[in-house]
Amino acid sequence: MELTRRDFLKASIAASTAATVGIPVTKEAQAAPKDVEAGWQWDKGVCRFCGTGCGIMIATKDGRVVATKGDPDAPVNRGLNCIKGYFNGKILYGKDRLTKPLLRVNAKGEFDKKGHFVPVSWERAFDEMAKQFRRAYREKGPTGVAIFGSGQYTIPEGYTSAKLMKAGFRSNNIDPNARHCMASAVAAFIQTFGIDEPAGNYDDIEYTDTVVVWGANMAEMHPILWARVSDRRLSNDNVRIVNLSTFRNRCSDIADLEIIFKPNTDLAIQNYIAREIVKRDAVNWDFVKKHCVFATGPYDIGYGMRATDKYAFPKEKDTQAKQLRVKLDKYEAIAQRRKPGEIVEQKNAKSAGKHWLITFEDFKKAVEPYTLDFVAELAKGDPDESLEDFKKKLKQLADLYIDPKRKVCSYWTMGFNQHQRGTWVNEQCYMNHLLLGKQCQPGNGAFSLTGQPSACGTAREVGTFAHRLPADMVVFNKKHRDFAEKVWKLPTGYLNPKVGSHFTKIMRDLEDGSIKWAWVQVNNPWQNTANANHWIKAAREMDNFIVVSDSYPGISAKVADLVLPTAMIFEKWGLYGNAERRTQAWREQVPPPGEAKGDLWQTMEFAKRFKLKEFWGEQPVPGLKAEGFPDGKLPDVSKQAKAMGYTGEETLFDVLFGTEENKKKYRWPDPVAKGHDNHIAKEYGWFPEKAMWHEYVTFGRGHAHDLADFDVYYRDDVRGLRWPVVKGKDGQWHETLWRFNAKYDPYVKTGDFEFYGPALKKLPSGDLDKVTDPTKKSLAGKAKIFFRPYAAPAEQPDDEYDLWLSTGRVLEHWHSGTMTRRVPELHRAVPAALIYMHPADAEKRGLKRNDLARVISRRGEVKARVETRGRNRPPKGYIFVPWFDEAVYINKVTLDTTCPISKQEDFKKCAVKVVKA
Amino acid sequence: MNYSGIVVAFKPGELQAGIQALNALPGMEVYHVDERNSRAVVVQEAASVHDEVDGMKAIKELPHVAYAAMVYHYFAEDEQIYTAFPRELEEDACSADVCVPEVLRE
Repeated sequence: MELTRRDFLKASIAASTAATVGIPVTKEAQAAPKDVEAGWQWDKGVCRFCGTGCGIMIATKDGRVVATKGDPDAPVNRGLNCIKGYFNGKILYGKDRLTKPLLRVNAKGEFDKKGHFVPVSWERAFDEMAKQFRRAYREKGPTGVAIFGSGQYTIPEGYTSAKLMKAGFRSNNIDPNARHCMASAVAAFIQTFGIDEPAGNYDDIEYTDTVVVWGANMAEMHPILWARVSDRRLSNDNVRIVNLSTFRNRCSDIADLEIIFKPNTDLAIQNYIAREIVKRDAVNWDFVKKHCVFATGPYDIGYGMRATDKYAFPKEKDTQAKQLRVKLDKYEAIAQRRKPGEIVEQKNAKSAGKHWLITFEDFKKAVEPYTLDFVAELAKGDPDESLEDFKKKLKQLADLYIDPKRKVCSYWTMGFNQHQRGTWVNEQCYMNHLLLGKQCQPGNGAFSLTGQPSACGTAREVGTFAHRLPADMVVFNKKHRDFAEKVWKLPTGYLNPKVGSHFTKIMRDLEDGSIKWAWVQVNNPWQNTANANHWIKAAREMDNFIVVSDSYPGISAKVADLVLPTAMIFEKWGLYGNAERRTQAWREQVPPPGEAKGDLWQTMEFAKRFKLKEFWGEQPVPGLKAEGFPDGKLPDVSKQAKAMGYTGEETLFDVLFGTEENKKKYRWPDPVAKGHDNHIAKEYGWFPEKAMWHEYVTFGRGHAHDLADFDVYYRDDVRGLRWPVVKGKDGQWHETLWRFNAKYDPYVKTGDFEFYGPALKKLPSGDLDKVTDPTKKSLAGKAKIFFRPYAAPAEQPDDEYDLWLSTGRVLEHWHSGTMTRRVPELHRAVPAALIYMHPADAEKRGLKRNDLARVISRRGEVKARVETRGRNRPPKGYIFVPWFDEAVYINKVTLDTTCPISKQEDFKKCAVKVVKA
Repeated sequence: MNYSGIVVAFKPGELQAGIQALNALPGMEVYHVDERNSRAVVVQEAASVHDEVDGMKAIKELPHVAYAAMVYHYFAEDEQIYTAFPRELEEDACSADVCVPEVLRE
């Protein structure tokens, strides 16, 4: 029988698939792909979507991506892909890719905020952008401009943008969308361990006996890791999986134990576990005495809202008032050892992060109120479940953690991080793992999963946050600024020591006119920020200039004044860092369409528009108070700069990026390209990604953040490396699997474990309420076991707004959907965001499945269809709405409270009503 | 036409029944079977990506299946290149009274 091309193609795909996942096939079958794939160029890449960091192989032919497959050599996914991974090639070819800069103009062709978009040249785009920048900068100084950055920046892109803002414009107003995703995890890492990012890695899944998932729908959001968890469960009868969530989701399908709890009561459940550990005398004293201290901090820290209600809508004012004072309810009163009804002024809203050492006796006293009876009554989230059943489950959970023969891994994502007490709830997870000594060992550890592909690699490690410099350094630490000024060849006093505006605050600053120029890079802030009606008004009605670099027109592009067409993942070179500290790299595979250009090029080209002398003079920074700085000002450093050889006529590009050294040292073409193009390097004649990488790594080397040389990540035999990556005496680069554990981590100098992270390691001492001895003691080498109490959510259902609302993602769409929604077929798979609700709640409101309903809060409303039988099954009193859909703009409804320590928004709880549309 | 290579893992004892069920789904063909690990390679042929996503869901919903994952995606014969001016912004540029799109004007 003659084989058709179709038969060949299918046989070839089957053989490739089998080979990828290690299924043996005949020799004849093995040969099939050779014919079909003739003329294709395969190269390694990284998935552009979530923080798992799956390896994918990309095939190109004639300048187009023709196929993708899971990378069989990638240790993360071992050849598998989820549906999102599948679209890495497809998203490049959406119908409405932006291919030209677009500027709002009036009839005369001049920029006009009320004008309409017309295509303009890059030259004209940068002219207007620079003109508007100067206008804002002259009026407001460094605090009047901002960049919304991203956890989807490549590492060189994030580094370049942060450098331009901090080392060029002397502004710390750059903050990534990772603030919405990771900030609570970061704050807890820094406070607990003194250094960011997880100790363990994904290998833990194959070593552990117990997977406890807290507020993470891994089955849908991290499906490849969930496949590894499923494999582990199916191949070992002893393994147990626990799913803790506020509503039933797909993780429950294979879970042995499902615990549905009320919003914020995860704080109480964890204290119950701690109380059980103490009560059952299960504290691992050998570990705790050698490696830990006990600590706590203030409870009266507010909810991260504005301190004034001047900008609040009338209906918002009652919730807003809780920023200043809170009346304790019965549960909070018990949990915080106070009286119900007591009014507590939120005095520590601006000093929420301070903390002090306490004794174990105080810690024991603090967890004492968290009895099984108390916590079960407070936390039971499903009204249809009996209290007795719920108690049994909580006890089982504690048993699993405490069982000395059992290894335990806890995983979480947004349920913990997007939380009004996000830092606390992260710290509580470490509390229990540290009390039990189940941390930093294969199969034992608390592990924060990430949502974005380079939230770790770029946003956190590079430091594209308002308070950070690369490698965990911070702007308010003089030694860190000195180091950065030295690497960046800047005079002392050039860098701004005052923390800039965090993501939500940039929005608030646009609303009240303190920021007048903002650039959006690699994200969609007008869709991803809670309480969006305020921010739409801020963008369209205030006197400001908003630039949005994007590949597709999302909501942010629509509210912008200038839109810049931007290259996507495989149209540029890049490196990402995933949740397990693994840094992975890819080459440019295909050219960007039309006039689209990489973000790195855009940032560097913008830098060419400014001269050093525009910034080296004195600059106003309202509220700045720092040693060595005049109050409210950055000093004039022109003399020192001239002494260093600068004339002031250099552009910021010349000073920061295109230095003579970079041009000479990092020439293009470079053999590492192996025939691949680089649309930026080709124009410049030097290799900016490599130059920026090598400058960036100087921050981390020797500081437990070591990364290998650029070319190492591009080697055929490398599928990413987990930092610290240290060059051994053998001349090879060695990655670190479990940090703080002497068996694996070269930075451990003494003992079996050492928590060597340097931040916040000198503390005063006190009792549960206050500091009693201000003398700071060193706790070098130790981690902190924090006591953090239960606190009630700022807004809870009442007679008018009688339902809880949580938002989140679904498998087919990722984040704001700007990319995935461009694949029309994928879009149709989930045609619009749904209101997932309990059938009884729907019936009570005269609604049935597929009916159109309005979701209304104090802040706004949306319309969407009701789903009562979906894969997300909320208990009575609770609804879930995904946020990917522009047409169901749910962030008009959500509340912009944040964790007061991490400044991360809480998208998981506010009060709404649902009525028939 | 789009083609995808999918690996399917079956629950213990469900391999044979699972393969039968897979072959009965439209556009699906089982090519290779790994009896030792209770897995199979399926090739899906579908007119659109939408149909492929639906097919993937159908596989996952089979009672025999422990998990299914995409491995290979071939779309070279989907040749269209899009360079059009974005529709939303085009409308914007054409209509005098629309500077904020409908979704933002509620």
